[in-house]
Amino acid sequence: MRFVRNYSSLLLFVLLLAGIPFFVEDPYFLSILVFVGIYSIATMGLNLLMGYAGQISLGHAAFYAIGAYTSGILTSQYNVNFFLSGGCAIALAVVVAYIIGIPCLRLKGHYLAMGTLAFGEIVYIFLNATVDFTGGPSGIAAIPEFRVGEFFFDSDLKFYILVWCIFILLFVVTRNIVHSRMGRALRSLHGSEQAASAMGVNVADLKVKVFVLSAAYAALAGVLYAHFVTFISPQTSDLMFSIRLVTMVVVGGMGHLWGCVLGSAILTVLPEMLSYFEDYDMLIYGCILLGMVMFLPGGLTRGAEMLYAKCVKKAGKRGDA
Amino acid sequence: MPDAILKAADITKEFGGITALKDLSFAVQEGAIHAIIGPNGAGKTTLINVLSGFLPPDTGTISLNNQVITGQKSHDIAKLGIGRTFQNAEIFGNMSVLENVMVGRHTRTSAGLFSSALTLPRARREEKQIRDHALSCLETVGLLDLAAVAAASIPIGNQRLLEVARALASEPRVLLLDEPAAGLNTQETRMLAELIRSIQQRGITVIIVEHDMELVMDISDDILVINFGEKIAVGSPAEIQANPEVIAVYLGEEG
Ligand SMILES: Nc1ncnc2c1ncn2[C@@H]1O[C@H](COP(=O)(O)OP(=O)(O)OP(=O)(O)O)[C@@H](O)[C@H]1O
Ligand SMILES: [Mg+2]
Repeated sequence: MRFVRNYSSLLLFVLLLAGIPFFVEDPYFLSILVFVGIYSIATMGLNLLMGYAGQISLGHAAFYAIGAYTSGILTSQYNVNFFLSGGCAIALAVVVAYIIGIPCLRLKGHYLAMGTLAFGEIVYIFLNATVDFTGGPSGIAAIPEFRVGEFFFDSDLKFYILVWCIFILLFVVTRNIVHSRMGRALRSLHGSEQAASAMGVNVADLKVKVFVLSAAYAALAGVLYAHFVTFISPQTSDLMFSIRLVTMVVVGGMGHLWGCVLGSAILTVLPEMLSYFEDYDMLIYGCILLGMVMFLPGGLTRGAEMLYAKCVKKAGKRGDA
Repeated sequence: MPDAILKAADITKEFGGITALKDLSFAVQEGAIHAIIGPNGAGKTTLINVLSGFLPPDTGTISLNNQVITGQKSHDIAKLGIGRTFQNAEIFGNMSVLENVMVGRHTRTSAGLFSSALTLPRARREEKQIRDHALSCLETVGLLDLAAVAAASIPIGNQRLLEVARALASEPRVLLLDEPAAGLNTQETRMLAELIRSIQQRGITVIIVEHDMELVMDISDDILVINFGEKIAVGSPAEIQANPEVIAVYLGEEG
């Protein structure tokens, strides 16, 4: 009854999400949970690319930036409505991902990492350089808050509800994909590209598709970010942010859907608590990544599963004796 | 030869300075079990790779059912009905045994990202068919008990059977097996022989590369012998066993 189990975990999660605002008064904490939601959306897409299809990207901050900037500029300077600006933002990210993806995804391993990293840097430099358009290093301020008709998402609580509703919708969609013909094809790329191809999977094509899909998730997250914080600068989406996203996926658990929430939560909440991370964040992230890859390559969700299995086994043995 | 389903004509393939295949021509009868044998490095795997579109030949043509398929991509050739396994058991180690075989249904199904994402009724129905068909393929190779097990954790003998089940799931017209008996014990090899015969009985043409001569002589209808990428002999098991050139190649290898 895997079906029931899967839905029960989602239901439990929704209950938890719904309960939190009743117990948490502190708006600061609620805003952190909004960020966790935003990052979870981005990492869910990145997880499809990394955890399921086995391709790395060190340039996903660029798609996040494309989403945030496009919607930010369109709404603040051209008064475009939010659905249209969000749609344009995601569409632009999709087009860019498609153009970048075709040459990049021919590369493998370190070369793919390098290629996507270079792309991220190019976007970063572009955002800094085009002062007239993007505000350059100082970015864009006064991005309007989300609004549907006359309803303004002007409090942390409202945005919290918005972000997590979007997350849950995407979660259901993503899980459907993962457990489908295409989801298996994605994972087959990770398992053996040769065998995937022998089974009729168009390897090059599918890699580009999942890259584009993951870019769309990142862009959507960027859109949400821009209208939540109402300010965006190149710093929000530098190389460090790409690395943070990758770390979130790895810590949470590659190829595990819940991993994106866990990884995002840990890597958002932890640095907030230990604010002296500030200057050493690159180092800390490096160490976390290395540690995870060496000691717990399945991430925390797999780790928890293993622990659970061990406990069950032990309990079973005790029962036998 | 009237009923050749797969034909290769004047295939040459070079790697740098090495000529892995040289002007190789042969035809495979529909419904036959056709073995390809030869010493290590003779070019057998290269031939399999060329036939399945994994490597483009330098010269020559390959035709399936009189349709030229040379130069087509491997995934398109898979769709046309050539299935294959790999010498070093390329299973999907990140999936369950059943899921491995379900991937084998890829060419025979069509649900895309969109219809899967929304779990449209059609996608759901198709998903059930995929599962049922995959289970029946696992039953055919005798791995039904292991359906839910992680594929990476099963022994090599079972991995080879899993590869066969996965290839069968795509309902190929021609199945290419690259050393399916490597790593199998005597009993497993005997079961493999049975399995290959039952595959033939389903009307699937089998091309098998194999070092186990007992197995080859037992099940094959035709045998192609190659050495240094060149055809040495072709014929029935009896003819091949009596062929002086073949004997020389194999004695030379042993000596
Ligand atoms: N990708 C490649 N690049 C360079 N040389 C190759 C490549 N693939 C095969 N070769 C060479 O081509 C020749 C034929 O190799 P092939 O793998 O086809 O032999 P084989 O008959 O399958 O041998 P075995 O019985 O050991 O599997 C060998 O000399 C091998 O070194
Ligand atoms: Mg070989």
